[in-house]
Amino acid sequence: MKKVLSVILALAMLLAIGIAPAAAEDITLDVIIAQYGPNTQEWFLGKGMDGSNFVEKFEAANPGIKLNLEVVSWNDLYTVVSTKISNNNAPDILNIDVFADYANEGLLMPVSDYCPDELFKDFFPSFIEQSVIDGTCWAVPDLASARALFYNVDVLKEAGVEVPTTWAELEDASQAILDAFGGDVYPWGIDMTTDEGQAAFAYYTWGNNGGFVDEKGEWVLNSDANVEAIEYAIGLVSKGFTNPNPATQTRYDLQDMFAAGKLAMLIAPNQLPTYVADKEGNVNMATAALPHNEGATSSSVGVMDRIMAFKDDAAPDQAARNEAIGKFLTFFYDPANYVGWVSMEGFLPAVNSAVGALVEADPSFQAWLDVLGGAKFYPTTKAEWNDVKQGVIDVEQQALTGGNVKELLDALQTKIAGK
Amino acid sequence: MRSVFMRHRWEPYLWILPSVLLMLIFVVFPIGIVFRLAFSNISRAGVVGDFAGLKNFQEAVSSAAFPQVMLNTLIWVVSVVGLSTLTGFICAMVLNQEFVGRKIARSIMVFPWAASLVIQASVWNYIIKMEYGNLNNILLNLGFIQSAVNWRASYQIEFVWECAIGIIVTIPFVTFTVLSGLQSIDDAYYEAATVDGAGFWKKLRHVTLPLVKPSLTVSMVLNIIYVFNSFPIIYTITKGAPANKTDTMVTYLYMLAFYDQKKGPATALSVIGFVILCVASGIYMFITMRKEDTGL
Repeated sequence: MKKVLSVILALAMLLAIGIAPAAAEDITLDVIIAQYGPNTQEWFLGKGMDGSNFVEKFEAANPGIKLNLEVVSWNDLYTVVSTKISNNNAPDILNIDVFADYANEGLLMPVSDYCPDELFKDFFPSFIEQSVIDGTCWAVPDLASARALFYNVDVLKEAGVEVPTTWAELEDASQAILDAFGGDVYPWGIDMTTDEGQAAFAYYTWGNNGGFVDEKGEWVLNSDANVEAIEYAIGLVSKGFTNPNPATQTRYDLQDMFAAGKLAMLIAPNQLPTYVADKEGNVNMATAALPHNEGATSSSVGVMDRIMAFKDDAAPDQAARNEAIGKFLTFFYDPANYVGWVSMEGFLPAVNSAVGALVEADPSFQAWLDVLGGAKFYPTTKAEWNDVKQGVIDVEQQALTGGNVKELLDALQTKIAGK
Repeated sequence: MRSVFMRHRWEPYLWILPSVLLMLIFVVFPIGIVFRLAFSNISRAGVVGDFAGLKNFQEAVSSAAFPQVMLNTLIWVVSVVGLSTLTGFICAMVLNQEFVGRKIARSIMVFPWAASLVIQASVWNYIIKMEYGNLNNILLNLGFIQSAVNWRASYQIEFVWECAIGIIVTIPFVTFTVLSGLQSIDDAYYEAATVDGAGFWKKLRHVTLPLVKPSLTVSMVLNIIYVFNSFPIIYTITKGAPANKTDTMVTYLYMLAFYDQKKGPATALSVIGFVILCVASGIYMFITMRKEDTGL
């Protein structure tokens, strides 16, 4: 009897071993998603998607594909990803803002390897362009936001000034607000911190027909227009028109001050009203185009994040893996899912198919989509972008402590472009 | 007899084996990795490449911010360790006196030490905020100032704040180390000194200081290591801004590694820091070993 039992047990074990590979035919995708707000985790893994979540719904709709999905805070995202890459354990799908370093080091797959044609055509072409290096597209946009000037209507009214459209008007308005409120309200918000000082560089240089690169895409960090623009921005600080510590006060500090009525004007993303409401601030606010220098044109700043897929040479069936990644994207950008995702955190969409439903739900979206249509983006496709980003922040902070803008930008240009 | 001898030979090793394993896994192994990274080419994305020689060290040391960062580190360690030792010593002398409420005073002294450094740094960051900080609120309400003062008007002042906060949070440690030393001094020494006609200063110089010296040495050397490695205060208050002018070595290498994505130079810097601290610990071991030898 014992013998029979042991034979049965042994057979059962053999069977189990035989069955295991069959179950392993399931493809498991490691996915890392950036945490945009408190709802991100709930939507992907909790109960935030009609009582269910993205992973459950995806796996139900796509049998044979499992998701090992992780939501990571922006503070840790870069460290998590680079540690995984160092350990040869890169995710299959990654949601982050940068991509050029990964693409240049040969870690990414071209989008054409996995993205279905129909979906690819659905992305705004101007967005896709931002992820193309030498004719190959390496990532797709997941969402975007656009920046505009937000102002406290009541403060400007009490100071008796109109919304400034040019730099000269901005200085006049700031002086009027200072005169009316003394030190109680800062007229203008500037963030030159390591958090987002590159945005300040973009706001002022683009508002003076300058910028990071010229029409040919070459670095022109020390152009005369840029020097004038940064000197103007530093001038706003030294004249006392701004928050007192631009090197350490982040955009979130500024948004808090704005919500508390202590800041009259700031440049912020389209989600600011949601942010202020979350802080229970009660500010009568309105938006306007970014002020620009006399004779230059105003341009908004667009910020975009991306989804990309890493190579995995160890995967047994590359075609099946690519197909699975394509299914992930198709499911994510399906308007039934994507519209809820974009509107949940107050972002702007990256695909045409979502626009109709979004505008229907909130007509103010259309205005933002128009702003986004004319927005400029950071030159993130260039390999030196990360150094440029740190470099311009360093220039701003040096200038705040009395450095010469022209000399600093000359030095940065030499360091980046060698000329 | 033989079996007992054998057991005694291997038994102690067995008992310390778990600690040794933990140390190997969590201390020695990571140090090894850092040393390997410091001499390797590391790409921005994080791919570890081939042997790079001293390239990372060169890049770290030749950066424009490096001299300022090293100067800051020196000022930070000397001022925080020096002033907290002096103040902590005085506090310990006071707490060693008999007075009503001494126990309460001692508890109050130890409270700040129980709170985590990040919390203390965040609280101080809030206190000195210009817009809604407690310091401005209190001074305004008491009528000492008429309008809010910007307590962080320049980076030099911000760095002074950081040092001051460093000193405040370090005082409890010094106080209690020195206090334990003071309590072990036999009253007979002071009585004898009084009979010989010594005043307060003479007693301090010839009785207290020599006898409390071992405790002072311990607290000072440990503090040099702690303060050198201290990260939360500076990171919470300025993050080294503007342009690395308030960075110390530890915050600088953190920003280099996790913000600028320059892991090579950052690991090189941490190796340099490791060597500096090895020297400091070496001096500490030398002093304590010598103390044991002389039987002091």
